[in-house]
Amino acid sequence: MDMLKLFYLLIMALCAYVNADAEKQSKQNRGRGSIWWGIAKAGEPNNISPVTPTHVYMDPAIHATLRRKQRRLARENPGILAAIAKGANMAIAECQHQFRNRRWNCSTRNFLQRGKNLFGKIVDRGCRETAFIYAITSAAVTHSIARACSEGSIESCTCDWSHQNEPPQASKSESVSDVRMWEWGGCSDNIVFGYKLAREFVDTGERGRSLREKMNLHNNEAGRVHVQSEMREECKCHGMSGSCSVKTCWMRLPNFRVIGDALKDRFDAAIRVQVNNNLKNNNENQIMRNNRRNNKNLANTNSETNSVHGRGQNQRKQNRYRFSLKPYNPDHKPPMMKDLVFFEQSPGFCEKNLRLGILGTHGRQCNDTSIGVDGCDLMCCGRGYRTQEVTVVERCACTFHWCCEIKKDLKSKIILKVADNVVLKVCATISY
Amino acid sequence: MSGTILENLSGRKLTILVSTLLFSQLICFLIGGIFAPRPSSVQTILATICLDKPGSFNDTSIWIYPRGPKANCDVVTHEEMLKDKIRMANQLVFVFQMPLPREGMNLDYSRWQQNLIGILQTDIAYDPMTYNKPDTELTLDMRLAYRNKEDPDDGWKYYASSMEKRDLHCIADNHTDKYLYQCDTIPIFEMGSLHHDYYLLNIRVPVDDHMKMNLDIGFITDLHLSTIYQNGGFTKVWMSLKSTFFPLIVAVMIWFWHRVHLLQRKPVLLEYMLIYLGASLTFLNLPLEYLTLFFEMKFMLLLSDIRQGIFYAMLCSFWLVFAGEHMLIQESGERNSLKIYWRHLLAVITGCVSLFLFDICERGVQLRNPFYSIWVSRFGSKIAMTFIILGAISAAIYFLFLCYMVWKVFCNISIKRSVLPSMSKMRRLHYEGIIYRFKFLMLATLLCALLTIIGFILGQVTDSQWHWNENFELEFSSAFFTGVYGMWNIYIASMIILYAPSHKKWPNENDQTQENIMGEEIEFSNLPSDSNPSEISSLTQFARKTALD
Repeated sequence: MDMLKLFYLLIMALCAYVNADAEKQSKQNRGRGSIWWGIAKAGEPNNISPVTPTHVYMDPAIHATLRRKQRRLARENPGILAAIAKGANMAIAECQHQFRNRRWNCSTRNFLQRGKNLFGKIVDRGCRETAFIYAITSAAVTHSIARACSEGSIESCTCDWSHQNEPPQASKSESVSDVRMWEWGGCSDNIVFGYKLAREFVDTGERGRSLREKMNLHNNEAGRVHVQSEMREECKCHGMSGSCSVKTCWMRLPNFRVIGDALKDRFDAAIRVQVNNNLKNNNENQIMRNNRRNNKNLANTNSETNSVHGRGQNQRKQNRYRFSLKPYNPDHKPPMMKDLVFFEQSPGFCEKNLRLGILGTHGRQCNDTSIGVDGCDLMCCGRGYRTQEVTVVERCACTFHWCCEIKKDLKSKIILKVADNVVLKVCATISY
Repeated sequence: MSGTILENLSGRKLTILVSTLLFSQLICFLIGGIFAPRPSSVQTILATICLDKPGSFNDTSIWIYPRGPKANCDVVTHEEMLKDKIRMANQLVFVFQMPLPREGMNLDYSRWQQNLIGILQTDIAYDPMTYNKPDTELTLDMRLAYRNKEDPDDGWKYYASSMEKRDLHCIADNHTDKYLYQCDTIPIFEMGSLHHDYYLLNIRVPVDDHMKMNLDIGFITDLHLSTIYQNGGFTKVWMSLKSTFFPLIVAVMIWFWHRVHLLQRKPVLLEYMLIYLGASLTFLNLPLEYLTLFFEMKFMLLLSDIRQGIFYAMLCSFWLVFAGEHMLIQESGERNSLKIYWRHLLAVITGCVSLFLFDICERGVQLRNPFYSIWVSRFGSKIAMTFIILGAISAAIYFLFLCYMVWKVFCNISIKRSVLPSMSKMRRLHYEGIIYRFKFLMLATLLCALLTIIGFILGQVTDSQWHWNENFELEFSSAFFTGVYGMWNIYIASMIILYAPSHKKWPNENDQTQENIMGEEIEFSNLPSDSNPSEISSLTQFARKTALD
């Protein structure tokens, strides 16, 4: 009997061990695709020079955060690491702006050393906040690469419309035809390259079949789609005597704030999903269909030429995005391309929770007149608040002079600061 | 005898001719749709923000550029700008190096790309340090330089520079410090020639209290320059069309003039009009653009406007005179001159002159200063509006006049129709000839105008969507341009051919049997009784005939 009990215990212990191991494994896997976020803080610990392409590339710490494929992309497209680093910083700033009035404020203070996730352990959970982080970072990378292309800081941006499904790289033989292409019919929009490269770079880690990976893929895609769909058309008439007999239109890359606003709306309406029994080979594969539509929209070319161009590659890639997600509540509609999805409830963000990497709302600023989340009652989780007086520099009464033709006595710059006292409400640090 | 080829052509021959013309029209349309790329492309360039060099405000030999082995741009980031209390006003240069590199290659502009238009978009953020007005005036110090492939990397040469004011309209949904304004685009330059390989634009936004410059503009975070250029492929297709039509129209004109001179009479007004029309079309067809491959011709935009203007003016006058000449009412033999149409043509002339003056004020000045725009100053835009309104009024008057004349012709036709059976055979045939000719031109003109209008509307409708739903197989905008261009060429060529004097009089006079053989095919048989060679024009003939009635 004792022996049996002992054996039982042993089995239990073993199971627990195995479970723990598996959990550890899966936890590591979860953040696997997102370690590159650390690029945002490149060069920050030692505060050297501003981020230049060579600097980022040389930094071994940054290099280590990248997967092999990401390193290859960085090698083949000089300049993208700087763009991605810029994008990641943009994503952090935007996330913090969008969540400035909420209990979770997208803090990156937990990021201390390499290997840890930039946004903290919250990313280990498949909750709404994680969905937003994935979408906004992916959107920011797309936006930033497209932007860098139009700035000329990435020289390998594609020109040809038809190459859009092939891996982005600069090869000599194509270049000659591209010069001809440019002379003959101009170049495609930068968003084509941004979208494609962002997909290659950001989605590279999400290879598994788990729901978490599907969720990440979906949210990454949603972020990119938002960048593309928020583009606005601008037109210019330049026909005879400037009439509209000839009109040329182009798409304007939106401000990133617009994308952040749209994604925040999607965050508020995010859809909780659950595991679908037949995760792949599903007929109503939302994403894949959407993908195809996307590709078509993106490049302004017909899909037939594309599939001829890179069928093998296409097939494989499409498989990866070939899945459908089922809403947790069967009465809800299945998530669309632009929706954010999650599968775990968010933890409470009131109190400090080191296990989840939550800082709590202690010391956060609140608004005592608001009844929203930024109101002192909700923000401080009923712990009360204190009042603080801060001196803020409001406006500068400056005199500007551009040209030297003005009299000498006016030449010197006068800067006046008008100080103003502002009363701030801050959540109490101690809750009891 | 007499009449034009149109009347003497059998139904079968006419059908063959018309279907051939329609077929070549279709070919023109398809050439544009299948072979040519879009007429123009856009490349949007984001400004690289650089630190200005001292003394640059009056030294136009300082050029700052961000790419190349000797790049001298000291990049300023947004963070650095935000840290500065005055947002580094007067210390920044927004630099655009055109064109952008692609696929790891340094692209350069091709001379086939013809022209370059620049439009500026501003990203302006709310700035608590300055007074932000949504509608204000932006002062820009713009300098343009060029460089060619064989030049050294830093061998930028001065092209143009100007201090320009532009109206800036912005909307802000949310006036907080975190928001950006949605601002309208600002057209900034138009270059009629793209002669050099690389261009460089340095823009400074001078802030000055004394001169009240840029004081109420928020924090300019970014400038985007959208450059529109004609696609080289489109130019090539367009030039090949021009090169094909040019000799064809010239040949047709020579043939026509030769045929008119074979007759022993002076050419009538309508024949003069046809040859003028052919000449204006030849001027439009003249492939002058080939010269831009070798010489810098900044006036090409202005010239192409003038060429088109002359052609349209001629076409409008032709329609007026044509309708007038087919009035079927005779006011003695004074018909054969343009003088009696001066009242009618006044509208055309006024419209054209006012549009020409407007063009001179806009594109003429741009020859000297590509940054100039007449719309910027209040006075200038008033003048421009005056010219355009004058042009529009003349167009409306012209159109009313034309409609009135056509209506009158139709009235006369119906009157004459009712008395046709009572006329002698010869006179009936003459009247039928005139009516037929008139109706044929009316039909052809209406068809052409309708096709142009439909094409234009289709282009406008699809234009708003083509960027994302473009049909790769048919490039509609190019097809529209080549199609319309081909159409008016074919229209005028066929007018010249069909309204040329017929040669069928010779067999009539000499060989009666041949006429009988051909008789079956001929729709409007010749008039053997008329043997006066000086009165071949059926129009003058009718004048006399009705006068006799």
